[in-house]
Amino acid sequence: MSQRTKNLRLSIIKQIELRAAKYPDSISLAQGIPSFDTPESIKRRVELALKRGVVAKYSLSPGLPELRELIELQLQKDNMFYDWEKEIIVTAGSIEGITATILAITDPGDEIIIPEPTYTSYHEVIILSGCKPVFVPLNEDKGWALELDKYEKAITDKTRAIFYCNPNNPTGTIYNKEQLLSLAELAKKHDLYIITDEVYKDFLYNNEKIFSLAEIPELRKRIIRIYGFSKAYAMTGWRVGYVHSDESVIKEIIKVHDSLVTCAPVISQYAAMGALEMGESDVSAFNIEYAKRRDLICKRLDRLSRFFSYIRPESAYYVFPKILRDFTEQKNSAIPDSWEYALALLEKTHVAVVPGSAFGPNGEGHIRLSFGRKPEDINEAFDRFENNLI
Amino acid sequence: MKGILKIFLKYYLKYITKIVLFIHRPIIIAVAGSTNKPFVKQEIKRVLSGLGIDCRANPKNFNTEIGLPLSVLYLPSGFNSYKKWITAIINAPKIIFQKHFPKYLVLSLGSSDPGDMEYLLTIVNPRVVIITDITQRHLEGFDGIDGLFSEYIYLINTLKKRDTLIINHDIIRFDLLVKDCMAKTITYGIENKADYYASKLEKSAQGQYITVDVGGTTRQYKLERFGQHHVYSLLIGLIIKDYARQQIIKTNQEFSQSEP
Repeated sequence: MSQRTKNLRLSIIKQIELRAAKYPDSISLAQGIPSFDTPESIKRRVELALKRGVVAKYSLSPGLPELRELIELQLQKDNMFYDWEKEIIVTAGSIEGITATILAITDPGDEIIIPEPTYTSYHEVIILSGCKPVFVPLNEDKGWALELDKYEKAITDKTRAIFYCNPNNPTGTIYNKEQLLSLAELAKKHDLYIITDEVYKDFLYNNEKIFSLAEIPELRKRIIRIYGFSKAYAMTGWRVGYVHSDESVIKEIIKVHDSLVTCAPVISQYAAMGALEMGESDVSAFNIEYAKRRDLICKRLDRLSRFFSYIRPESAYYVFPKILRDFTEQKNSAIPDSWEYALALLEKTHVAVVPGSAFGPNGEGHIRLSFGRKPEDINEAFDRFENNLI
Repeated sequence: MKGILKIFLKYYLKYITKIVLFIHRPIIIAVAGSTNKPFVKQEIKRVLSGLGIDCRANPKNFNTEIGLPLSVLYLPSGFNSYKKWITAIINAPKIIFQKHFPKYLVLSLGSSDPGDMEYLLTIVNPRVVIITDITQRHLEGFDGIDGLFSEYIYLINTLKKRDTLIINHDIIRFDLLVKDCMAKTITYGIENKADYYASKLEKSAQGQYITVDVGGTTRQYKLERFGQHHVYSLLIGLIIKDYARQQIIKTNQEFSQSEP
């Protein structure tokens, strides 16, 4: 096997899911999958495209023009101004956009700074690109905030980019404008790119609008923004998203994108069109439902306050509780190993959770719980926790 | 059931729309073409609103047999919901008696099959037609590009002498399109010299700088948007601005002549 794959790990989330599959009554709070099906209006759009016979051929490499026009219009609503012809690429999910971006802006040996805990696959993509992920811990005591001085210290001659997820997975927290602008100043000072993955930006529970550095025109040559339709429109299986940046950056990313996938699946591009044309009310409905589930999971966690402490999520559909007390055999262990803890929890309760270590060193001592699952699943999972922990 | 509902909606909304247009008599600006329609509609709305003219441009790209009436009536689509369609059916006749109706309606006209344009023109009668561009997009319903061009030629040739055609001079087969046009034709372009001609396009982080030449008079513009399509939209906006001003002058003259 190649050296390239030697240091790659199979996703810990997938490993947990595989283990959970052994238990017929298992409940998964592990995978970040919405419990909803893709909205009917989106499916209808796809049906029409199928009937018209327009999905069998490749699209242009950057995607269907009509979809990119819709994306430009959507970005306008969020105060971001990009040219659909030259500055937007439709990708096969956000992860393909991330991969194409990293391959385009780095050389082997370069470093990419990642605030952590954060989404597990970033690490793998960076490794696959021959680069080195440099983890910078977020401050949990400040609500998982970015702390600028730590980034300044982490930057070396090899640093090419700072790559973050906002709203953040697994913490469900949002970086505020001040933190992001400070990060942008740092990027300018050291001539770095900023990659911002905003796949959860549609789920906001405090009615606050999320700020994106892609709104700042002066930063457009430095900011590469990634978005996916998976979460907001319950379209994880369709694998469609987009990346946008200044023309000078996109013209390099498109070369990699073309080499990787030629184009995003055309049928999924029509689904994405349906999402942008007709999916707004569905996103609002999902948002309301997730807010209820967030409240539910927080309420259930509050009942286990001897075992977990947590920061109330403002976005996404994850909560990232800190393990306060071990219930496994290792009673004397002060800070339980999150992998062992997750396995023990699965064995005892048949509930799958993701160990915090999957999201970076700073995630150790935590577990990620997804409230993308149905309320009855959340309740059943917590009933099992209570029966076994208390 | 869905098929029956669709046929019912098609004709129900069509005839309500025709009554609404007959009663309220707005000036219809039709935006047609393969690309750039939403941005052109945005720009026209911005320009007309800037002149204090009451105008409506549906942000949605409703341009089909059901979409066009919804655009005129400014009703949301029911998509896949019977309940929402019933609401639209109930609300549609109310528009006939609406006290306030916009003076200008900016509508998209789209054609994905032969005969679409002919059908849409049985619903609306535009005074101004804008042709943005004609590309191979939406070609699947036609035997070839000629079929698609025929749709636009049909649209252009229905315009009367009093009407206005605003057309992109950079379109391939431009001459074929305007050959039999009876309406006043105003051209815009970037590549080919046109009545409204943009040149010296420069991009910065803040946007684009453009020089626009109209009848020998040049003026610089700054756009806080990126892409050539916004330059085209700007040119169309300038044409519409001049058109609307002329309409205002004409109306004032007619009014003063009618006074005793």
